[in-house]
Amino acid sequence: MGVTANVVSKLEELPSASSIAISTGVNSYFDVLRAVVDVFATRHDLYVFYVTSTIPSKNIENLFELLGIDSSRVFFVDTISHLMKEASAMEDRFLYIESPTMLEYMMLKVEYLARKYNDKKAVVILDSVNSMSIYNGPKIMSEFLHILVTSLRSWDAYMVIISMRDQNTESIHSMLNMVCDEIYDVEEGE
Amino acid sequence: MADRGRERCKTGIAGLDNILNGGIPRGNTILITGSCGTGKTTMSLEFLVHGALMGERSMYISVTEAPEKLVENMITYDFFDKKLIDDKKLLFIDLQEIYVKLGLEKLEFTLEDVNILVEQIVKMVKELGIKRLVVDSITSICYRLTSKEEIREFILHLGKELSDLGCTTILISELLPSARGYSQYGVEEAIADGIILMGNLERRGDLLRTIQVIKMRGTTHSRAKYVLDLTSIGVLIAPLLKGGSVEVG
Repeated sequence: MGVTANVVSKLEELPSASSIAISTGVNSYFDVLRAVVDVFATRHDLYVFYVTSTIPSKNIENLFELLGIDSSRVFFVDTISHLMKEASAMEDRFLYIESPTMLEYMMLKVEYLARKYNDKKAVVILDSVNSMSIYNGPKIMSEFLHILVTSLRSWDAYMVIISMRDQNTESIHSMLNMVCDEIYDVEEGE
Repeated sequence: MADRGRERCKTGIAGLDNILNGGIPRGNTILITGSCGTGKTTMSLEFLVHGALMGERSMYISVTEAPEKLVENMITYDFFDKKLIDDKKLLFIDLQEIYVKLGLEKLEFTLEDVNILVEQIVKMVKELGIKRLVVDSITSICYRLTSKEEIREFILHLGKELSDLGCTTILISELLPSARGYSQYGVEEAIADGIILMGNLERRGDLLRTIQVIKMRGTTHSRAKYVLDLTSIGVLIAPLLKGGSVEVG
């Protein structure tokens, strides 16, 4: 099986309200996103709340379009566009936060989406723990992830935390082990 | 603390009702205090709208802003229904008009003037069956009072009368960012049944809106600081992460 199919298969094993960290290399990154956003979320009719601190949301949407991924069910919480001076007008599909250091506002924007779009369950993607760790120390990151994962359980939402294998440190490993139900390592040769 | 036995006035703001262990004890007069831009007016309006939606007639007495402008701002909220105003479940009163009606168009009030004003507010609450009241702001009224004794008398008298009527009251207090204590004159905070402090917290260059319940008679409550966001579905509240921070006001 390919990366996409393997990731989908792993996600299918999870009970609802689970949290999973997916560790991937650069080459498999888009296959992972396709698995979560295109296949898994569509199959289960889930909203996707996509928290990005890596790539501006408009760029991700453009990439999805190029890859033929339907992004109509995706809502972005974008923490990076302000820093890049690329943020445009705020609307529900593109919620901007001034900086990846405003962790509480990430929680609040996800809660806003979960409350407002509560007719379906959701999968929340955090992309990525590595880029967020550039801006935040391990203690506050652990606290943030712990509260976010716990609160998402009460919303019955899935949580997918993307981590880039080459950038993972020991502290990121420990943090993900502590807060996630599952850790899945995508093998490049899959 | 006496959590049982006191009926609650649910604010309708989920995070705040959790912090307050179910809501504000009914009949309390509380101070929402903070510097400008911290969300005092927005949160108070939401308290009134939720009350009106729950069938409790609610009234906003505005000293500083025209009611029309306030209503205009409220239209952006998903939970707001203009019918509440048309049906007179949500009332907006311009205090300037009351001043004119009572002949209180003066810069300084005597104790007698204070009592006339309190009686007028109480009369409206009684006649209209108001269960939730917001006065925005108490600081603007206190500005016309010449002594701390008058301020004390005003708030005590108003709070007592409204509590007897079962009206839960929010007094909005404006603070300078550099202020110490929880109110401009130092009297309001001592008399109020509750104090909700709203502020700005600077953390590594980010400015976060915060909320903290300092005191609330008649209930146990969290005294921790939380971060809030003003959204179209109302005020949302999240715990403040402990990462080292510097208070600015």
